Amino acid sequence: MKKLFFISMVWVLASGLNGCASTKSGSSDDTALESYNRAVFSFNNKLDTYVFRPVAKGYKKVTNEYVRNRVSDFFNNINEPVSAANHLLQGEFSKTGNNLGRFVINTTLGGVGLYDVASKVGLERAPTGFDETLAAWCVPDGPFVVLPVFGPSTPRAAVGFVADGYSSPMYIVANESHGEDAMAVYYGLAGLKYLNLYAENVQLLESLEEGSVDYYEAMKSAYLQNRSKIRTCGKPVEQAPEYDFDMDVEDYED
Amino acid sequence: MKKICLLAAVLFGFSQMALADIDKDAAVKMVENVTKEGVEKIINSNSSQEEKNKVFKQLFTENLDLDFIGKYVLGRYWRTATVQQRREFITLYKDFNVKVWSKRFDEFKNKKFVFNGTSSANNPNQIFVNTKVPMSEGNPVSVKWRVNNANGKLKIIDIIIENVSLAQTARNEYTSFIAKSPKGIDGLLENLRQKVK
Repeated sequence: MKKLFFISMVWVLASGLNGCASTKSGSSDDTALESYNRAVFSFNNKLDTYVFRPVAKGYKKVTNEYVRNRVSDFFNNINEPVSAANHLLQGEFSKTGNNLGRFVINTTLGGVGLYDVASKVGLERAPTGFDETLAAWCVPDGPFVVLPVFGPSTPRAAVGFVADGYSSPMYIVANESHGEDAMAVYYGLAGLKYLNLYAENVQLLESLEEGSVDYYEAMKSAYLQNRSKIRTCGKPVEQAPEYDFDMDVEDYED
Repeated sequence: MKKICLLAAVLFGFSQMALADIDKDAAVKMVENVTKEGVEKIINSNSSQEEKNKVFKQLFTENLDLDFIGKYVLGRYWRTATVQQRREFITLYKDFNVKVWSKRFDEFKNKKFVFNGTSSANNPNQIFVNTKVPMSEGNPVSVKWRVNNANGKLKIIDIIIENVSLAQTARNEYTSFIAKSPKGIDGLLENLRQKVK
């Protein structure tokens, strides 16, 4: 009952916001949200420039590719039960089996998940989360929102992010142990997870900013287009982007 | 739903025609050449950055239809732009892209593009060449190349990385910039002039 109430709240929130803002992938944002988004984006960008980027670059300097791969394999493995549960909620039973099989193999033969040996025996990674589950249940995405510190998001993505955090085995173990130390370890590990992820993408973000005339718009467009690969309401994901390249040549001639 | 059904019907109905209008083997070969030249001969070579930029510019302008992309990127503002503004925009857009991409391609250093065939586009003169790039960290990156057949000459008109179309992203960005700039298109030209310096 609680779950149904929760889902309907997300749906109402997302639909309500949908009505006052455009959500079409990559469309121009002409909404009341834009000034808020741009202000938060600018704040995040400063935080990024002066704190996150230097930290990520420092982390990259003191670690090598091998270490970073072990860290990402470890966190990917911890996340397998979350993916399994969400695939179950999406009705994707074979993928649930895949996630569980990977978790068992990588936790045992892969040294508590430090090595992804399951991929080598044909069980490829198939991560998912509550955001994709809500999409499968036809919950609308809502408008583009920039969250302080966390960056580009949508109401559905934000709800998915929080739900994934609370359902993570790492959080459940820390929470069950009722100890302050356990929570401190949890936050430390969560920090490492995002630092490692950020370090993987720091160069890409820098290049996106450098190649932009409007970094906010570029980030928004890229973020929404990337989300268009999420399967919604069981509809097939479009192979090609929606836009039409069949320009009327006469319109474009000198 | 209607739109998706229509799209599916169009894709299905015209897929054979699409493949007939554009030589898919030639499209794959062209993209293979770009990745090979770009990554193996330019990025991985030991020549100076200046030399690399020069070769990259040649490769880029020969294989990418930057006139086409530039027009698309300017969107509705292309119609209201003066002939001089259009010409300057195309020149600046080319220079800016060469500068950005000669650096951006560095991310593919020592990487191999794995070719996964082609898929049809809704325009019979266009085709997607599908590639994947295994990364040393994280999952392989999906890179699709949209190839256009313009009067028998094949040219790349878009690169789609993990579902993100670079042409569409640039279009959203540039049209938003012009709409917000008090100087309109001239404001964008000023910004690009600074960036290509």
